[in-house]
Amino acid sequence: MPTLLDTENLKKHYQMGSSTVRALDGVSLTIDQGEFVALLGTSGSGKSTLLNLIAGLDRPTEGSLRIFGRDLAQMSSAELSLHRRQNVGIIFQSFNLVPTMTARENITLAMMFAGVARAERDASAGSLLESVGLGGRQDHRPRELSGGEQQRVAIARALSNKPHLLLADEPTGNLDSHTSRDIMAILKDLNQREGKTIVMVTHDATLAGAYANRTITLLDGVVVNQQSSSAV
Amino acid sequence: MTFRDTLSLALRNLGEAKLRTSLTTLGVSIGIASLAGMVSLGVGLQDQFVSRFTKSGLFDTITVTPGQDMPGGLATLARGGRRGFGTRRRAGPAAVSPDATPLRSDLNDNTIKELTAIDGVKEVYPNVRAPVEAKFGSDSEGMLAAGVPMSARDEGAFQSITFGRFFSDDGAAECLLSLEMAKRIDEANPQGLLGKDLVLVHAAPGSPSTQPPAGGPAAAMASRVDVPYRIVGILERETGPFGGTAAVSGLMIPLGRAKAIVAATRALTQALVPERANDRAYNTVIVKVKHPQFTQDVEDQIKKRGFSAFSLNDALQGAKRGFIILDIVLTLIGSIALTVSSLGIMNTMVMSILERTREIGIMKAIGGSDGDIRRIFLIEASAIGFFGGVTGVVLGWIVGRIINFGANVYIRNQGGTAGNLFSLPIWLIGGAIGFSVAISLIAGSYPAARAARLDPIRALRHD
Repeated sequence: MPTLLDTENLKKHYQMGSSTVRALDGVSLTIDQGEFVALLGTSGSGKSTLLNLIAGLDRPTEGSLRIFGRDLAQMSSAELSLHRRQNVGIIFQSFNLVPTMTARENITLAMMFAGVARAERDASAGSLLESVGLGGRQDHRPRELSGGEQQRVAIARALSNKPHLLLADEPTGNLDSHTSRDIMAILKDLNQREGKTIVMVTHDATLAGAYANRTITLLDGVVVNQQSSSAV
Repeated sequence: MTFRDTLSLALRNLGEAKLRTSLTTLGVSIGIASLAGMVSLGVGLQDQFVSRFTKSGLFDTITVTPGQDMPGGLATLARGGRRGFGTRRRAGPAAVSPDATPLRSDLNDNTIKELTAIDGVKEVYPNVRAPVEAKFGSDSEGMLAAGVPMSARDEGAFQSITFGRFFSDDGAAECLLSLEMAKRIDEANPQGLLGKDLVLVHAAPGSPSTQPPAGGPAAAMASRVDVPYRIVGILERETGPFGGTAAVSGLMIPLGRAKAIVAATRALTQALVPERANDRAYNTVIVKVKHPQFTQDVEDQIKKRGFSAFSLNDALQGAKRGFIILDIVLTLIGSIALTVSSLGIMNTMVMSILERTREIGIMKAIGGSDGDIRRIFLIEASAIGFFGGVTGVVLGWIVGRIINFGANVYIRNQGGTAGNLFSLPIWLIGGAIGFSVAISLIAGSYPAARAARLDPIRALRHD
């Protein structure tokens, strides 16, 4: 499979008072199209920082991060927002839905930023919600939905602009085990049936092993282990 | 992101915080109401003033008097015209300086022709007051009948005659009365005088004007005639500060008649006091210009010819300056309220951004650019400005109406003429709303820029 993403000596340092926090300290890795990669590590290992860099929410301190050959480190803030709009869909642990908007509106909002026409937005938001099993709850606000339902809305939103890459930051961290399995099944299905590349951050090695093709373990900002699994 | 989407999103956001939005909008509308109300008051007062002036027909009118020394301040005022450095020099004895134009006092029919030839002059006629004795029933009273030219028919105070009509003809034996005069004759029913005759006793026009009667005062008295004048119209008194053209006098007769009476009277007077004879047929001549903007030029031309000329142009310029100052003061007062409300907008927007920090982070994460975020907040601010502007204008109008009503009740009780103290022209409505939007945009630009600059990761962690 062709390369989707590669990093070279990627570093992200924060200044915390007088001390420097090396959240990422020289990460070089490659992710191919169609892969389901789990970034595994404890709290503070740098896995979320790496995900944020890939998402274009943050900028590297040093090194390169290329997606489809373009280096995010060199992009302007307008280009980064275009990258977030077109290339990636992000799924958060805390869902991050706009509380004042219904499920459908949360999805159309993302398409609004991409300049999709209204009629098309409404139609595809409907079918996206159908596809995650929320056909009947389109006009409910997040507070009226369960955690699992909210995460389904978030997945539908992440898919709305047809990105190549889905980024999931502890997608099941706030869910019970039963719901977690449902959500992971949806992600696995997207990976296998639609060929979406997925990068998922988790601290749960079992979850990583069960669903991902490859597990990259980080510790103190560096990759300590890469393991391909034959999990299906 | 299209403008329509941005707008609908912004309006939706405002709708989510109804209480805050409406309170902020109310703040803006009070600011705009006070500003629009103040400007409206300034414009209204000016309109009142100017329309009174225009109605009095003095805007485009120059009063010409003989150029000789006249006692009192009026001569100084008349000759000096514009107040300025020259005034003091020209006033008093020094007025007759060696290089000055020779002064003229020959105000007669030839002069009228001469003045009519000046560029921009529409009409010249003498200001004639004919001495008469008016008799109605058993009462009689001596008074001066003002000669009104036929051209005044549709001008100034004669545009709207309260009862009746204007003269039919320059030589008609008809008269117009002021309402005040009509009430003096018939307190209960002044309107009932229409069509009745007022007998005017005056010098008999005709032969005596060329041949003074011999025999002294007795003969003069004998040449007086009683002429019935039909009362054709009654008008409300609308005088300007100076007795010019269309200013209503108590008793008005056609100019032709008045001139004849004056000529006859002069002939009698000359018979009695011969030394008063000169080429001065009239004391005052009225020059009307085609447009008020010619007034100053024509006035200067007349002065060059050696006459004294006075128009209200000067007084009006001063008054206009006064109104500009009044407008500025009123605008400043109104601006204070608007400044407070624009701070209100800024506060609301800053609060709203704090509250929606996470939402801004989400919007950025799903592809919203800095520009999109900035535009959403700017449009929210300007929408508050727009609604505040519209309700402010309505509010200002209502308050203006109420004050106007109250003020007019007071004015009427004081015997004045009620009028519109507040004027709300289209430009003021549009201007107030536009200004409100502009102020809101300015007030919203800082919060909007702050929202656009938010770091998405921090914003997403925000609670």
